[in-house]
Amino acid sequence: MQNTLFLEHITPLLQHMLVFLGLAYLFTKTPVFTALVNNSLSLPDKVIIYLVFSGFCILGTSLSELSMQNDDAIANTRAIGAVIGGLLGGPVVGFLVGITGGIHRIFSMSSTIDPINYIDIACGVATTLEGLSAGLIHRYLSRKGRSEVLFSPTFVWLIAFIIGLGHVFTLLLFGLISGEIEATWNLEKEIALPMLIANSVGVALIMYMIKEQKKACDELSSNAIAWEIANKTASIMHTRFNQESSRQISKIIQQETRVGAVAITDRNTLLAFTGLGEDHHKPGSIISSKHTQEAIEKNKVIFLDGINKDYQCHLKKSCELGSLLIIPLRDDAINEVLGTIKLYEPKNKLFRNINRKLGENIAHLLSGRILVGRYELQHELRIQDQYKLLTTQINPHFLYNALTTISHITSKQPDRARSLLHDLSDFFRKNLETSSDTTTLKHELEHVTSYLEIEKARFENRLSIKIEIPKHLFKQIVPVFTLQPIVENAIKHGTSELLGAGLINISCIEQSDKYTLTVEDNAGLYTNRKATGIGLKIDERIKILYGNSYGITILCEPNQWTRVNIRLPIIKE
Amino acid sequence: MIRTIIVDDEPHALDDLESKIKIDNMFNIVGKCSNAFEAIRDINCINPDVVFLDINMPKISGIEMLSMLDKDKMPRIVFITAHGEYAIEAFKNNAIDFLLKPVKADRLEITLARLKENHLPQAIIREAFPNNLKFVPCYRGNQDFLINIKEIIHVYSSPTTGVHLIAGKDAQEFHTNLMLKIFEDNSQLLRCHRQHIINPDYIKLIEKLENGLGKIHTYGNSTIPVSRNYMDNFHPIS
Repeated sequence: MQNTLFLEHITPLLQHMLVFLGLAYLFTKTPVFTALVNNSLSLPDKVIIYLVFSGFCILGTSLSELSMQNDDAIANTRAIGAVIGGLLGGPVVGFLVGITGGIHRIFSMSSTIDPINYIDIACGVATTLEGLSAGLIHRYLSRKGRSEVLFSPTFVWLIAFIIGLGHVFTLLLFGLISGEIEATWNLEKEIALPMLIANSVGVALIMYMIKEQKKACDELSSNAIAWEIANKTASIMHTRFNQESSRQISKIIQQETRVGAVAITDRNTLLAFTGLGEDHHKPGSIISSKHTQEAIEKNKVIFLDGINKDYQCHLKKSCELGSLLIIPLRDDAINEVLGTIKLYEPKNKLFRNINRKLGENIAHLLSGRILVGRYELQHELRIQDQYKLLTTQINPHFLYNALTTISHITSKQPDRARSLLHDLSDFFRKNLETSSDTTTLKHELEHVTSYLEIEKARFENRLSIKIEIPKHLFKQIVPVFTLQPIVENAIKHGTSELLGAGLINISCIEQSDKYTLTVEDNAGLYTNRKATGIGLKIDERIKILYGNSYGITILCEPNQWTRVNIRLPIIKE
Repeated sequence: MIRTIIVDDEPHALDDLESKIKIDNMFNIVGKCSNAFEAIRDINCINPDVVFLDINMPKISGIEMLSMLDKDKMPRIVFITAHGEYAIEAFKNNAIDFLLKPVKADRLEITLARLKENHLPQAIIREAFPNNLKFVPCYRGNQDFLINIKEIIHVYSSPTTGVHLIAGKDAQEFHTNLMLKIFEDNSQLLRCHRQHIINPDYIKLIEKLENGLGKIHTYGNSTIPVSRNYMDNFHPIS
């Protein structure tokens, strides 16, 4: 008999609870919900919580009215709204939600036929107390810094259950005062258990759902912030991972996350520090914090939340900072720690969970940037290396031949020998002058001319040269050593292999926005030639500087001619 | 007098060496060549006692040129080399003289002194280097060619016009300054007659005639006589 009565009461309650669950779900999908995921609530946030959960209270009462079975107090789910309102909004909001629900209860169940009786008052007061007590729990946990417990289903269920017991107790107390204890007892005997179960489970479920939605929401906004940081730092990390770039990045991260302070370190030094405590965290100083050293050595995230694990700045006792998250910057490919990023919050502020996730995202982002920067630096160095290689490759071989030729003619043609020495010193002077990666076409042609004067002396009538480049292109910028090595190859692997007269022709074809320099020899021995790689290197440099539509192509008609075409852009001033 | 030829593709190097050798009046410079083609012709023609030979030359290097000379009439060779690009060690091991460019007068004196002591033909030099002919210098009119030995079908000599060479798919005819003996000694080509040498790869069939004579039919549909003395070189098919 008791069982059927229990079922009779709990069935509608569970139905109502499901309605709430549905409504609460819809609520989490509205924009106002995002306001509630913050731990620090503003007044408008509180107003929203008040309105929504007062609505729940009223709905709880109204729904039970619809399925009314007896005239007086009935099993209802009003408590759900009050308890959640209190848990989310704190004591003031909880109290207001409770009293709103309570007053509504008092008046909705009474009419002229059925005036307000003790049980109506008792219900109203009990609901108010429920909201208030839930709010007090909120305040207590917030102050303890354990707000996350508010969303733990077991804990919330327990709280809701205890508050529910308080409700029953309040009603019985009222019954005692008004002398209707027996009626109250009989009523409660019937409905207390179903209500306790339905309401506590309802509260727990809704809070759990809010927690899940909040988590999703956190991730979304942390992604959004990470994205914003990615955008803003894109151009900075393009250069290097050093104090200057780190300073700019830490500044952006601090602005975007609004944490107390941000620090970036490499493996040994503090590269940048922005925010609270800037006065005594000096960039450039050696890392002295044992936490940071540990994070670097063990390649692990260290979180000192200031509650479970204390953080105290070891540089200055009065430092405001009270919690710290250290995340290593990693090169995942070789499992190496490049440095760390550190987020701080002051002592009076909690370290938000969202920032922990965010910190990890930022660290990941930054690691990637550093690696790209590193790669680019290596790339740059490689080009410089190539350039150096070209200069050193040319000189000894060429110098030997030049000096041998000069020594051969010194006794018979001293004047010619002297002029060749001039050409030779010109050639090397121009090598010395080229400190950068590029030069003018004029300079490059002069370089080639000095070179050819000496080669012509070596081969005499076995080599003739024609250069036809329009003067207005002389100002064009070309990579250094673009032409000379190609001309050298044309002689070394081309005309010098001919029995008859060799001919080198350097010409140019202009198109609207580009031009092609052609070095042609009349040997046509390219196919027989050993790959020297110099052409390839020049091609690579041109492509790096100007893009893939420029560079070198080689055509060869065996035993007739070899043509090396160097395609370059016309750069307008 | 020691008859001397100088070979170098750089004109000033040639002049410089000439003027330095001329100081010693025991040496008579009988030829100056700027490549191996010219040198082979002059050496065969003049039979010098000494050749100063540059190694790095177009088409045919000084070392490759060795295999194109008659080993029985080999002059003494003094190599001239630039920046040690050839195996100087090999020269040292085989007691072969070599000079580094630019040639220094005092170093040249030592070489000249050695040559004056002994300018007999130098057979030893041929053993120091591989002597397989790979390419053959030829000419037709004023034009020089380098023919791959594998493309040569037939070489023959005429008392009036010198050595002829038939090569290539279209059986073109060239002249060469190499003697028949060089082909016989330094390649897979076989002598079949006092005046004829044949590449065995192009033999279609050998016809046996009377008196121990024979006739080779080539894939190019030409016929080449086989004399009695050389019939043993072949295993007749019919």
